[in-house]
Amino acid sequence: MSAVNMDQKLFTELLAGDRPVLVDFWAPWCGYCRRISAPYDRIAAEHQDHLVVGKVNVDAEAQLAQAERIEVLPTLVLYRNGKAVGSIAAPESKAMIEAFIQETLAE
Amino acid sequence: MTHGHIYDMIIVGGGPGGYTAALYAARAGLDTLVLEKLSAGGQMALTQQIDNYPGFEDSVDGFTLAEKMQAQAERFGARTEYAQVERLDLTASPKVLETSEGTFLGKTVVLATGADPRKLGVDHEEALVGRGVAYCAACDGMFYRGKTVVVVGGGNSAAADALLLSRIAKKVILVHRRDALRATKIYHEPLKQAENLEFRWNSAITGLLYGDRLTGVQLKNLNSGEVFNLDCDGLFISVGRTPATELVRGQLELDPGGYILAGETTETSIPGVFAVGDVRTKRLRQVVTAVSDGAVAVHMAEEYLAGGT
Repeated sequence: MSAVNMDQKLFTELLAGDRPVLVDFWAPWCGYCRRISAPYDRIAAEHQDHLVVGKVNVDAEAQLAQAERIEVLPTLVLYRNGKAVGSIAAPESKAMIEAFIQETLAE
Repeated sequence: MTHGHIYDMIIVGGGPGGYTAALYAARAGLDTLVLEKLSAGGQMALTQQIDNYPGFEDSVDGFTLAEKMQAQAERFGARTEYAQVERLDLTASPKVLETSEGTFLGKTVVLATGADPRKLGVDHEEALVGRGVAYCAACDGMFYRGKTVVVVGGGNSAAADALLLSRIAKKVILVHRRDALRATKIYHEPLKQAENLEFRWNSAITGLLYGDRLTGVQLKNLNSGEVFNLDCDGLFISVGRTPATELVRGQLELDPGGYILAGETTETSIPGVFAVGDVRTKRLRQVVTAVSDGAVAVHMAEEYLAGGT
């Protein structure tokens, strides 16, 4: 299963759900975002039983990106109970994304 | 978790050098694994336009070229794991690679770990990354539309970043320690013609000014010693690259710049270990020289494997 594309409506719906939500804020012109995408889809598949994994195109959802104070791409934000509990900008490896998820959920 | 399987060749890093080695190795019938921490391409994956790689007369973007190199190597049987290598034992037999995805064993190892942007080394630099401090104009430049940015550096990448940003930002200030650029001549004229670009020669950034995010930099004139503040919204650091050789420090011989000592044969100081691409000591770091290294490394590895050691 690959990461779900989210618009404002789906973002709001999924954040209200029981499972934590990981969101990749990205843009089509952002080179580093493309580099993240294959390992990110792998993470979506590996964590599908306990985590919602999605992505938001900040060009299409500019207001959402602004409201979430995204200013570097890609930024991954982890939400729990509707609130952002951690974020990581331009992670260098799949392992770093994994570590970010584990550490943030453990807090 | 140890994967008991012993590969003929394990390649660390999936840039152009790494995937060319994978292509040649797989075609030579070697059981080949690529360990890549993120995605194919390395630094090349962030290059929007490559005009000096033969065969693409209309240019190609680095990410696409990387995907093609990966697909080509995998077509002949090379495998890829998205794994971060944490420790290496290069003198063991077989060679041992401990990673985020378990331990892998290989008869030969090709190091294709490349190089990363060098930090400026001023206080709070890391904390302000993403809040005004950036290393990649092609990636983050769009956030500075209509704003004032400082670019620090004097080489080709600083010149290219300053030019790119001059088309986006309101004003670009290029800060360099010397009184002239080291950048290739082709950059000089376009830089001079960019009306919103100004130079601060003989200057160094000695501090960062910030609230929630970067608000300016502290500049020191290296001739007069005078220190003053310069307001800006962004700082793009473009001061060269550092080879990714932390993993092999103490095991392999490195040159004073930290690059792996290996000649045109790509052989390192340990038999069965080869260094290709930007991580190797060399005069010209380009995609074409990296792919060339990859092919040579496999040739040498085949000789090594045939020797039975």
